[in-house]
Formats: sequence, C-alpha cells, structure tokens
Amino acid sequence: MRGLRASGAITIGIVCLLLAGSAGAAQFKGGLLTPPRPATDLALTTQDGNEFRLSRERGKVVALWFGYTYCPDVCPTTLADLSQAQQRLGKDARRLRIVLVTVDPERDTPARLREYVSAFGGAFTALTGPPERLAEARKAYGVVAEKRVVPGTAATYLFDHSAFVYVVDPAGQLRLMFPFGMSVDDMVHDIKLLLQ
Amino acid sequence: MRHSLRLTTIGTAVCFLLAGLALAEITRAQGQTIKASNAWARRAPAMGSGTGHMDKTEKMGSMDKMDKPDKMGSMEKMDKMDKMGGAGNGAIYVTLSNSSAQADSLVSASSDVAQTVELHEVKHDGGVMKMRPVQAIPVPAKGKTELKPGGYHIMLLGLKQDLKPGEKVPVTLKFERGGEVRVEAVVK
Repeated sequence: MRGLRASGAITIGIVCLLLAGSAGAAQFKGGLLTPPRPATDLALTTQDGNEFRLSRERGKVVALWFGYTYCPDVCPTTLADLSQAQQRLGKDARRLRIVLVTVDPERDTPARLREYVSAFGGAFTALTGPPERLAEARKAYGVVAEKRVVPGTAATYLFDHSAFVYVVDPAGQLRLMFPFGMSVDDMVHDIKLLLQ
Repeated sequence: MRHSLRLTTIGTAVCFLLAGLALAEITRAQGQTIKASNAWARRAPAMGSGTGHMDKTEKMGSMDKMDKPDKMGSMEKMDKMDKMGGAGNGAIYVTLSNSSAQADSLVSASSDVAQTVELHEVKHDGGVMKMRPVQAIPVPAKGKTELKPGGYHIMLLGLKQDLKPGEKVPVTLKFERGGEVRVEAVVK
C-alpha cells in the first residue's frame, strides 16, 4: 500500500513537472529550441573595428541575424522590428543586444556597416570578418546564404538567405528562433520571458 | 415653323450637353481605374556619394577602370559601382486598388531618388528568403494588391540621397491599362 502511494506520488510529481515544462514551452511565441544548447561563440569584428565575442554578452539577450546592407526589404524590416522591440522593453532595453552578421563581406566593409548602423539610429552591432570565419558562423547556426547573379536586375548580385533571428539568453544558451514576419509584440513577449 | 426650329435648337443643345457629359465621364472613369494608397518607404542610407563617382579612399587600384565613361555602358558602370561599395538600396511599398472589370498590372516605376527602380518579389522557401526581379505586379479586376515587406516591393537601386523618416519620396507608377499614377511615399 505504501509503495503504491509512493509510486502514485512520484507519477503525479512527474506529470506536474511535464505539465510545468510544457506550459513553459507553450509560453514562447517563437520557435523554441529544446534542449537549449550553448550558442556558438562569434569571434568577429564590429563596425568600429572592435573585437566582438558572444561570450562577453552574458547577462543580456542577444538577437542575432544574418544579412547584408544591400538587402532592400527583408533585412531592414527585421532590423526595424528588432529596434522597435528594443524600445518597447523600456528600462530593459539595454539588456537586449541586436547583432547583424554580414553574409556579404566583400561589399559590407566596416565603413559601410558604420553608415548602415547609424542610419538606423545606432541600435545594433554589425559584425564582419574573414570569409572563412563568417562561413563557420553560418554553419554553426544553420544559416543558408547563397550569392546569386540574377538576370534582369541592375544589382550585381543578390543573396538568398535564411531570415531567422537567433535568440541567445543571458546564460549564453541558444533558446529561440524568430521567423521572419513575427510580430514585434511577440518578440517583446519572448525577450521579456528570457530576461526574467 | 418657328416652333419646330426652337425645338430643334434646344434638342441639339441638349444632345451636345449630354455628349459632353458622357465624354467627361468616360475620360474621368478611365483615369481612375487604379488607385495607389498608403505608399511608404523604408528608411535607408545612400552610402557614399551615389552620383556614380567612387569614393577615392576605397580600392584605389580599380579606380582606373572607372575613368573610361565612353567605353563602359551605364549598366556596367553601375554594376562596378555596386560591387565596389556604391550607393545603397531601398524599398517602397504601396496598396494598389483596381476598380476596373479588367485585370491590370504595375509594369514599371520611376523616381528621381534612385538610379534604377525595379519591381521585385520575395519568396519564402523553407526559411530562406529569395528576392527576384519581376516584369509586372498583377492587380486583379475589382481587387487589390498590397506591396509589403517580405512580398512584392518597388526596389530603389543606387540611392542618390538618404531616405530619412518623415521625408516624402515621389514615385511614378506605370500600369499596363491604368496609365500613370504618382504617389508620395512616406519614409518610416
């Protein structure tokens, strides 16, 4: 009888944990990565020529995305949404670091990245580096970026690229992926949860 | 005799009046089949002079190739400028409404604010965004098409000036059937 009660208690306990766990999972609006894994460090250079290390961003949520400055639509949209999300965090705005990693180091020189950043009010950090390092970073995050020479456009080349925002929590774990088009409200919701 | 002459005069006058009104109505109706509303542009830096001249501090060696304007077509020139860090790109979005019973399409756009203006579409392909130029953006009969982020947009290549929030960018839209429509896109 005692054993039955004990196993019953354990069962209830496990069910409660599972429910709590799944309730936690259901709370996020973005794509949850389970189990969380350490976010691969990015040893790259900022637009100001400074060394950047993702590992030095502990205590902050880092919203990471991969794009290029000649991108007219998807990239500025993502950036505008993330900037808005940051503003809505209010006093917690400083605890969000927005980072762009270029997929186009050939054209996205540090000078160009500086201009791009300042056009958007200086709200984010832009990273570049040697092509091999950038390729390694893309591979680590599962990012696709393919250069395309397309007929019928004056643009020299375009990039087909992944448009997710990769979200790293204050402990340096890769936790969420925001799909393109996710609302600013949902982004704010998830970032606040991670900052708790 | 007088009576019938007066009637004829009145009748003719009325006919002319009606014909005139009908013509005005037809002309008016044709000009209004396509309406463009809520035009806006994404803020964007022009990046560099944007006048076709290279910033001399970048890649000095290749500057020599630019000093042959007669031999290089404007497209090639722009390509080289683009490749080597020339002016930035922008995007304009707008809602197009077609009140006619026939389908129409946006076939081109122009603006003084950029060197080239093209129509583009973005397709989501399993999380990968692919942008491609399109010849035309359809606007269905008695329907509308919304150009918005992640979808159709008017691409501005080689910006000649920064697009700063609050500014207005004049754009001329050309439709296959609906003629030309001018809009002012507000920069956000």
